[in-house]
Amino acid sequence: MKQLAYNIFRKIKRYLHLYRVFLSQNLKEDMIYRSNFITLAVMDIGFVSVSVILFKIIFTHVTSIAGWTFHQSIILIGSVGIIREMAYLTFRRGFLELGNHIRKGTFDTFMVRPIAPNIHLAFRHISISESFGEAITGVVLVIYGILHLNNWTWVSIPLYIIFLLNSLFVYYGFSLLINSIVFWVIKTQELNTIVYFFMETSRYPGDIYRGVGKFIFTFIIPIGIIATVPASVLTGRTSWSSALIALFVGISFLTTGILVWRKSIEHYSSASG
Amino acid sequence: MKKYITLFHINWQNSLQYRFSLIVYIFGYSLYIGVLLYLWSAIYSEGQSVGNYTLSELTTYYLLQLMINSVIFSYVSWDVIENIKDGYFSNFLIKPIDYYFYWFTVNLSGKILEGLFIIIAVGIISIFFRGHLTFPGTSAALIYFLISVILGIVLSFEMDFCVGMITFWLTQVRTFKFMLQTIILFFAGAMLPLDLFPDFLVRISDFLPFRYLVYFPVSIYLGKINNPWPSFAILIVWILVFYGISRVLLLRGIKRYEAVGI
Repeated sequence: MKQLAYNIFRKIKRYLHLYRVFLSQNLKEDMIYRSNFITLAVMDIGFVSVSVILFKIIFTHVTSIAGWTFHQSIILIGSVGIIREMAYLTFRRGFLELGNHIRKGTFDTFMVRPIAPNIHLAFRHISISESFGEAITGVVLVIYGILHLNNWTWVSIPLYIIFLLNSLFVYYGFSLLINSIVFWVIKTQELNTIVYFFMETSRYPGDIYRGVGKFIFTFIIPIGIIATVPASVLTGRTSWSSALIALFVGISFLTTGILVWRKSIEHYSSASG
Repeated sequence: MKKYITLFHINWQNSLQYRFSLIVYIFGYSLYIGVLLYLWSAIYSEGQSVGNYTLSELTTYYLLQLMINSVIFSYVSWDVIENIKDGYFSNFLIKPIDYYFYWFTVNLSGKILEGLFIIIAVGIISIFFRGHLTFPGTSAALIYFLISVILGIVLSFEMDFCVGMITFWLTQVRTFKFMLQTIILFFAGAMLPLDLFPDFLVRISDFLPFRYLVYFPVSIYLGKINNPWPSFAILIVWILVFYGISRVLLLRGIKRYEAVGI
């Protein structure tokens, strides 16, 4: 038991070290395109503003959406931005590059290194700039939303972070499942269109879904959870049952994602051979 | 004319090859529209309502928007940008084919194919929301709707072509295009019906041509516009204006063209 704990500790330490090395390497690559950084940030801010304006317009006609007030919805939109940036800081861009690697056969490199291919793929393409503007606006929106809440406590912050991490697991698991198809169809652009719409639609509160929709958007395409549950936790709207369901979905998506990915990778036929 | 028919046919087959990406895109966008339909259902089930829309009208609005997004909106400028950037445009300088009408034909064949796919998708979603659909009250409304869609295809293509032409001057045109696309969708009424906007935004949208792409045709379908002829007149003026701009940009662009790769 003690040995096992030690091994896990060592493994985590090793991956943290690798992350740091890859991060500094990717930062250097990012710095080559500094002007790109600014355009991307401006674009992100523009896109988020449009979402906020749309919600603002809807709320001139209604007082709440499925129980969510305007300021709670703002926290929801902000949370999507934060989760997106977390994903770009870990795995997201790797999947965008996956198609190229497979077409050119450079995915071989990932297979032979002493590090899990999915982790290597993720760390090789860490990107800060890709979603930076959205992250900044996200944090601003969340803080702005919090300042307008009455029933808010400091305790909810650590809980919020835990559920953000849980959502990152859902996102990662979902991306792994979708991108596992790449070993058969070699079309990542299309696959990542699905992932894109997945995050776009998670901006709406999960409470709007009813009946079959509720089930589908919780367990199969979990857009009703990914941003809704962290935002619910922060705004004090969550119930124990929905929090537990979210954790269950997080763990099951992550584990099935990894299992399916490992199985699918056996289908990789190197193109460079 | 014959060469354009051949082109239409070739592009039709090319597009068929990309049916996987088309289906995925339609699936993703349908998901997005489906979520919005849940959103409005939730709002209306709480006894709230927006503007003078019934839930059926809103549902129909978004389903038509889903269709229009595929049928009307032109996306050929992605290829036009690519075409000019990598120097492939040089080939067109010596071919006996008009560059503007080349892309017009390519766009049209792509739109008709996409239209067939999207009608199937909308049909499937409609089954889920069959209790919440509105149909045009008169056959005149249906005919006006079809006219407005056809004019919308032309206008959208022209605007998109102009965006592609910017590549001659600006290499970072993709970023610009992304932002412009969002603005166009916003003021076209693709995200929300324009009459739900606050007054000052409605007034801005009145002066822009984008409203003719989504809001106008859908409003005709829903019977909210009884006499569309004045709007048709303005729409045709916009079409002529953008045709002029396209031609001027193309003529000036050719002079600036650097023919990368030669």
